[in-house]
Amino acid sequence: QDLAKKNTANREIIEARKRLLEEWLAWRESQIEMLKEMGAEIELNGGKVQQEEDGDVEEVE
Amino acid sequence: MRPILLSGHERALTQVKYNADGDIIFSVSKDHVVCAWFSHNGERLGTYHGHQGALWTVDVDPTSTLLATGGADNTMRLWEVKTGKLLKTWDFETSIKRVEFSPDGRQLLGVTEKRSGHLGSIVVYEIDPDPQAEQTSEQSLRIVCDESKATVAGFSYLAQMIIAGHEDGTVSQYDGKTGELLYNAPVHEPDMQITDLQWAPDRTYFITASKDKTAKLVVTESLEVLKSYPTDTPLNSAAITPVKDYVILGGGQAAMDVTTTSARQGKFEARFYHKVFMEEIGRVRGHFGPLNYVAVHPQGTGYCSGGEDGYVRVHHFDKPYFDFLYEVEREQANL
Repeated sequence: QDLAKKNTANREIIEARKRLLEEWLAWRESQIEMLKEMGAEIELNGGKVQQEEDGDVEEVE
Repeated sequence: MRPILLSGHERALTQVKYNADGDIIFSVSKDHVVCAWFSHNGERLGTYHGHQGALWTVDVDPTSTLLATGGADNTMRLWEVKTGKLLKTWDFETSIKRVEFSPDGRQLLGVTEKRSGHLGSIVVYEIDPDPQAEQTSEQSLRIVCDESKATVAGFSYLAQMIIAGHEDGTVSQYDGKTGELLYNAPVHEPDMQITDLQWAPDRTYFITASKDKTAKLVVTESLEVLKSYPTDTPLNSAAITPVKDYVILGGGQAAMDVTTTSARQGKFEARFYHKVFMEEIGRVRGHFGPLNYVAVHPQGTGYCSGGEDGYVRVHHFDKPYFDFLYEVEREQANL
């Protein structure tokens, strides 16, 4: 019976984590969408500025 | 892997920062000197001399061209990273507690200390990214903090907003163009100072550390608290790791504030928490005093901490760090 209790507790923890992770991923997606709409290139590039000296980077107007 | 110990400072470290590529670490200390180090081997690259007092803060622009510093000599300074040349000195009535560049590096903010007759403020300057250029003395923005002084501040995505943490435990959101206060939220315990504010890579959220022994993950847009990380010691710093969903917290009670002074009692450890699940997953010991700042390599391959003990400790993460996954994360990854 103890084992059954433990299993239920574990399952609850796992379910809670699953919920937290899903909520987090959904929120992240909404924020990335927001940055895209605003054209936040540096932010979408993880904070890195694309430097002009990099010959392989094309400027798109 | 064994940490690399950077010993070059003679007094407590106050802030450490990686550049965008993560190959250089800049450190500032109460010893008046700014140091630059290679992050992979800890070799010292150079020093920047000129400040006449303790240094509180440092930041490097996104192209690693310009370095900004601020300190107890009431100046904020701009340096050329490569040559160590002092490009500009801005003078104030009080200390500069925090400097930070905007995401594009074209604006620089400074947080000024409060002193009798002087309210704390946040000042902003337009920056010319060319190191040959003459930099302006004119502030493009000045926000006066008449409620509670700001202790930390930074620019949001697109520099649309300025976010500040205050001495009274609240966080403010200001309009990045007009400086108008948009919103103020009680993020930490009342009158428990916010000691650090660090951004997620895309600046849609940030983490704050406080003397109330917690760190909080906050939404930039709404100042809603998403996550809370409770610890057993006053925190001086908190950082978000890219690649893995962790946060790193640093702090500890200063020796003068406790009756017992052993490292164990002081809790001088970097603490790792899972960012989403808010569970502690590990600790790293090493410093002989409080951790005053923790910074994460921008590619998420390591971190460094600056201590009250005068050392910077640089850690490169091992394979188990990257391999570690909660069961639900593994399932998610396999979807």
